[in-house]
Amino acid sequence: MAKPRRGRRTLTTVVILVLVSVSIITLAQRGGVGSRVTSGLRSAANDVFDPIQRGVDNLIRPIGNAFAGAVNYPALSKENAELRQTVGALRQQVLEGQSVRQQLRQITALEHLTYLGSLPTVTAETVAIGPSNFADTITIDKGRSDGVAVGMPVVGAGGLVGQVVLAYNHQATVRLLTDGQSKIGVQFGNPANLASATGQGQGDPLAVDFVVPGTPVKKGELLTTNGLADGEYPPGIPVATISSASTPAGAGQISITAEPVADLDQLAYVDVVLWLS
Amino acid sequence: MTGPNLVRLAVLTFLVLVIQSTVGLDIRVGGAHPDLMLLLPIAAGLVGGPNAGAWVGFGAGLVADLFVPAPFGLTALTYTLVGFGVGAVLALAARSLAGVDGNSWWLAGLVALAASVIAVMLYAVLGALIGQEQMLKLDLGVIAAVVAVPNALLAVPAVRAMNWALGVGPRGAEHRVTGSRS
Repeated sequence: MAKPRRGRRTLTTVVILVLVSVSIITLAQRGGVGSRVTSGLRSAANDVFDPIQRGVDNLIRPIGNAFAGAVNYPALSKENAELRQTVGALRQQVLEGQSVRQQLRQITALEHLTYLGSLPTVTAETVAIGPSNFADTITIDKGRSDGVAVGMPVVGAGGLVGQVVLAYNHQATVRLLTDGQSKIGVQFGNPANLASATGQGQGDPLAVDFVVPGTPVKKGELLTTNGLADGEYPPGIPVATISSASTPAGAGQISITAEPVADLDQLAYVDVVLWLS
Repeated sequence: MTGPNLVRLAVLTFLVLVIQSTVGLDIRVGGAHPDLMLLLPIAAGLVGGPNAGAWVGFGAGLVADLFVPAPFGLTALTYTLVGFGVGAVLALAARSLAGVDGNSWWLAGLVALAASVIAVMLYAVLGALIGQEQMLKLDLGVIAAVVAVPNALLAVPAVRAMNWALGVGPRGAEHRVTGSRS
């Protein structure tokens, strides 16, 4: 009799844990107190863990690099052979100089973002690529103590990069515009046509919705944030360029895809726009 | 679960979290990275059975939820079900097959591989159910492979570490799973 009783107890435990998990998800998703509590917990955990992570990261980075090298060994071998032939003569000093110049170019480019007008910005360095396999995010080294808040737009040298979704004391998480949860109100053409650009996942173009058949759409046309009163972005930030447009028979809207203007593979430095809707 | 066990579990969880957030995030294949925290409920299910698997899964999942930009509690829910599932399936297998031992290297590796694939799919499906439909559009095959292979390779050390954390000897795992210890 002991075994069935123990089995029932285990099942009861699991049911309770599942119900608790579902309750936590519901409370966190609904906003209000639940959301503030989970956001506070995340912030506290990040603030405590960040120095530990950085310290350990500095100590064991060579091990991580070795692992990464082992995983990518075939590609690295090929690349290595090519590199040895082509850049063997270059000296370390030159490479370092180039690296510094490249960083400077990126930062300088961030200083001259004309489309932002007089909006204040904070320049941040990307310290990590997203910790989740299911979200397209980056972590930056500026947080609440620098004026960064949830909802602020983030731009790169080319255009819109994404939006701050979590802000800690000294760091923040930015959801990239390619993430499936990202939806941006955009406009294009003259007179302005309004649409919505949605992320389709890392490396995939954005899907542009709500453009009715008959609207003139040109390949290469620029989409910018529309800045509507209830929008999440100020107007005029370049978002993407139209890469394809077609109208399937009987469809209620034109099927449009667009490539982000900002190079999302080159996000060493970004600007957080200190602007909230 | 006793006080010393909880302390050892907390230490183990912290160590795995540090490894995941440093080395784990540095390894990227096809845009995906390993999920070493998932090894905790899998190892707990293998070593301590469905009850321990569920509890460790819930705790480790909540810790992981603090650091991922996803709905809070989703990882806890997934890990709870995975930990329980691993323990329950192993207990069922132990009843019908002789010699099933959660500590054997091949079984630990095989279970970690299968459980990791299921966990990735389960996470995406549960995410879609709570409004994150984009999770189902991702390349789940690549993510599952990148999560499952390292977990399978690291299953044996994870089981050893979980034996220590739960205060169970290597023989204890067999007894827990088969239910021969009352």
